[in-house]
Amino acid sequence: MVEHVADFPYLTCMLLAPVVGLTIILFLKEEWHFLIRVVSLSAAAIALGLSIYTFVNYDTALGGLQFVEKYEWVKSFGIYFYVGVDGINAPLLLLTGIVIFTGVLTMWELENRVKEYFAFMLALVTGVFGVFMSMDMFVFFLFYEIAVVPMYILILIWGSTRKIYAAMKLTLYLMAGSGLIIPGILLLYATSGINTFDMIQLHGVHFAPWVQKTAFVLLYFGFGVLAAVWPFHTWSPVGHVAAPTAVSMLHAGVLMKLGAYGILRVAMFLCPDGFQYWAQLMALLAAVGIVYGVFVGLAQTDLKYVIGYSSVSHMGIVGLGLATGTIDGINGSVFQMFAHGVMTALFFSAVGYIYDRTHTRMIYELGGFSKIMPVASGYFIIAALCGAGVPGFASFWAELLVFISAVKVFPVRGLLALASIVIGALFALRVVQKTFYNEPNPKFIHYKDVSPFLGLPRAILVATMVLFGIFPRLMLDLIKSAVVPFVNGL
Amino acid sequence: MSAWFSDLTLLGCFLCMVLPIASFGLIMIFTRNNHKLSLAISLLCSTIPLIIAWSLLYKYWDIAEPIVYNYDWILSDFIKIPFGFLLDPTSLLMLTIVATISWLVQIYSIGYMEGDPGFGNYYAFLSLFALSMLGVSISSGLLQLYICWELVGVSSYLLIGFWYEKFSASEAGKKAFVVTRFGDVGFFMGLAILTIFYGNLEIANINSAAVAQSMPPWLISTAALLIFCGVMGKSAQFPLHVWLPDAMEGPTPVSALLHSATMVAAGVFLIARIYPFFSASPEAMAVALAIGTITLLLSSTIGMVATDIKQVWAYSTVSQLGFMIMGLAAGSYFAGYFHLTTHAGFKALLFLCSGVFIHHFGTNDFFVMAAKGGRKLIIPMVTITIAALALSGIFPFSGFFSKEAILGALYHHPNKIWFLMGLLGAFLTAYYTFRVIFVMLFPKNPAPEEQHGHDEPHEEHYGVPWVMSIPLLVLATFTLILGFCQGYLERFLLGHTLHHEHNYLLLVSAVVAALSGIGLAWIDWGSKKAKCVGFISYVPALENFFKEKWYMDHFWRWFLNVFIYGTFSRLFTYNDRRVVDGGVDTVAFSTIGSGRLLSFFQTALLQLNLLFMVVVVAGVGLYLLIGR
Repeated sequence: MVEHVADFPYLTCMLLAPVVGLTIILFLKEEWHFLIRVVSLSAAAIALGLSIYTFVNYDTALGGLQFVEKYEWVKSFGIYFYVGVDGINAPLLLLTGIVIFTGVLTMWELENRVKEYFAFMLALVTGVFGVFMSMDMFVFFLFYEIAVVPMYILILIWGSTRKIYAAMKLTLYLMAGSGLIIPGILLLYATSGINTFDMIQLHGVHFAPWVQKTAFVLLYFGFGVLAAVWPFHTWSPVGHVAAPTAVSMLHAGVLMKLGAYGILRVAMFLCPDGFQYWAQLMALLAAVGIVYGVFVGLAQTDLKYVIGYSSVSHMGIVGLGLATGTIDGINGSVFQMFAHGVMTALFFSAVGYIYDRTHTRMIYELGGFSKIMPVASGYFIIAALCGAGVPGFASFWAELLVFISAVKVFPVRGLLALASIVIGALFALRVVQKTFYNEPNPKFIHYKDVSPFLGLPRAILVATMVLFGIFPRLMLDLIKSAVVPFVNGL
Repeated sequence: MSAWFSDLTLLGCFLCMVLPIASFGLIMIFTRNNHKLSLAISLLCSTIPLIIAWSLLYKYWDIAEPIVYNYDWILSDFIKIPFGFLLDPTSLLMLTIVATISWLVQIYSIGYMEGDPGFGNYYAFLSLFALSMLGVSISSGLLQLYICWELVGVSSYLLIGFWYEKFSASEAGKKAFVVTRFGDVGFFMGLAILTIFYGNLEIANINSAAVAQSMPPWLISTAALLIFCGVMGKSAQFPLHVWLPDAMEGPTPVSALLHSATMVAAGVFLIARIYPFFSASPEAMAVALAIGTITLLLSSTIGMVATDIKQVWAYSTVSQLGFMIMGLAAGSYFAGYFHLTTHAGFKALLFLCSGVFIHHFGTNDFFVMAAKGGRKLIIPMVTITIAALALSGIFPFSGFFSKEAILGALYHHPNKIWFLMGLLGAFLTAYYTFRVIFVMLFPKNPAPEEQHGHDEPHEEHYGVPWVMSIPLLVLATFTLILGFCQGYLERFLLGHTLHHEHNYLLLVSAVVAALSGIGLAWIDWGSKKAKCVGFISYVPALENFFKEKWYMDHFWRWFLNVFIYGTFSRLFTYNDRRVVDGGVDTVAFSTIGSGRLLSFFQTALLQLNLLFMVVVVAGVGLYLLIGR
């Protein structure tokens, strides 16, 4: 892979922005809520700005890895601080920037332990940025763990609805996943014959088939836990429900993509033969997840559970796209990671506003919210329409690419998954009808609609969905520039 | 980019796409609460496409070769989706129909929706609809058409559920979206298969490939049948017709625009659009003919017993769509498309007239309207009668010509049963249409309200606002003259006029069917001695069957409850909670439990520990001693 060294350490700055913000926050007084918010928002804004910069300035004609920075870290083990951007992680970095920025804005009204909250959130996002930009397997895993741990505390302290159980379940699940990833990574490191964790170099090594098969399945299930691959998904709806709004946004919007990205970047990239061997299973689990998610979601009564299961289903689409191993499928898959991240952040953000007011998310208690708060409801309805796969939003293109290529490679599973989008529509509109239409519940009638400032994060998310929905090439050409060489290397 | 501005045709097409979406965005974001400004934006953004559509129609009246513009929208690997415009007679005519009716409905809605708190939203949704429907008309590729087609579904969902506080309205919106989605999945599968096995989804390309037989027949048939699923959903064909009658929950202008004239005609238009491709598959043509016929008869019979005026027209729409599909499937592209054109005019007229009555009397029941003196609304009453005459197929109204064309096509079909079914349909159509008209024109029992009406001040006036009556008059004019344009349209659409042999059998049988329907309606509902019961009530079982809408709603409700909610959803949820999640929790809790059990041994009591030690040592010692 061609490398283009950065003339300025953009990626390091992107990574350091939340760290610096976090450090400043630690020195601020607990009562200075406003200042803490402003600091975290500026940190998020810098990260977002840099991610937009890399996204826009990535040269698709040049291709390869750009904005590269590589420093030796632990020489004896061949560990490098090695970061770079290509067409696969550029959208995901952008996604992380958008979600953290809108996430901080969404939590603007938080009053409870503000300092710790924003500190942990910035720690979490540092981990996420680190995973997406690392090209060194060890550092990748290091950041991966950094991203997972703050989640536990965030849910435990600021959560709701069975938060202790949920936090514990989530953490144990993800730790179990890590327990599979470590042996996978070490197996690859040990059998490579070159003393390095550099993934680009490891890609050049042709591992023995048994190594590939073993390492792939370990990494697939290890990362798959975080990507909510069926049947390892049950931590995710529970976790979403318990987490505070912005954490749900980060969690469903970004963290689940870490899993899928790990499968793509580590497992498939380093073990192409292993991937070929396990692709059938991947497609099966993904297709089951797609169908299963919508059907279970159909029976839920808690708004956040509904969204949680829709995430299971939509992450199934990501998995199905990866499993096809075709350019179209992986294009769609990466696009879906981005689109689903934005969409689900919008979902949780919209629900968060309503929950903060009414303190209930039970569908049968709500109702008529379009009348009470038309704008806030509008955002949810837009998200629901995205979820139902309506054109004009980014997710439509992603699903289109994945489904067509899935029908081509795995006809039965593809058609089955495709058929489930009818239920997907029913699923989304059922919630919209029960929550936002009909006569309003008199109990909630006095609540005010969302103000323009508080609505800003949702507006940003909607604008992103629509921008890439109308001009998909802005995203797709970039993704394609990395996926084409990637698939040719499979 | 300069090409966009130097080529006026391209600029026109482009504006047809951009203006409505701009109007939608502007109104939704900025001017939702300012009714006047919203109206101004929306009207501006629908008037320009109207002018463009008519001028394009005029400019390309003698078009020989289709005009195609294509730009890359998505370039993945083998999935390439162009964004472009295809202008040929088929699309130009549809463009004009859509732009015209949509403009008239926007004008009409000024009066109808006046004072509604959601006035701004309403116009935004109408703009979204205009965008998607204009897109369906001039899309150059099937996938682009599919995208617009889905957007049509979304705007229909939003507009049906416009009065969302009403449970029935929100339910109807959901039903419409999900049922049409049911068909759309088939459509999408068809497109996926075509993409995979053929690749190029440009409409012009597919049509010519099917004509040149460069596509395998199995592929054409499979794809055509799957695409027909989409048609069944959107054009409300049996068994997916159930959403359309419920869709009448939306405001009446919406019913006129979407659920009679344009949106539901999109399915028929799609068949016309890919007619060379579609007709290359005998299987698809046979299925379409059968489905069209079933739909025609089913919905006509339900229309005979409905008492809600919008329901009658809704079922009538379903049946006429079936009739169009019969015409297309019988092999006549022109007949089906011509009926689409005339139907768009007179059915929109019927709905808009009914809207005036509904608006005025606040009821949907035409018996009540009649009793309250509905016939005193002169303009609507005259125009609704014109539209009814057209719907029944009476000379010289437009419906007569297009029905003749379809019946002619059916007549030439080798199997005469379809022709007889078509005649039966024509008879039933005339009957249920004039049932409404005669009830309204000759009310039997005077209004009960008028007897104690002296409490209210006598300011009842039967004037109709001009914004509402002008569209009626325009559409009535179309209904009167469109039939005589048959020859011109033939030359436009086909490039030559059809050879009309004077088949008196055909002509006489069609006229007899229509007149006997009207005659029977006169006997049942119109004449002074009429008993005001339909002839169908002599067979109560059948009447009940029709009143229950052939139990189709019951069937779908049952299907949804038993299969989707009752079986899959419940089973999966149970599995998720008990098996998948339960399994994990069991592992976790048994780990904790075994930890507790072990911790029992880890007490700080020295004596106990010592006892364990002694017991274990003794046990091992015993084992070593005796075990040997």
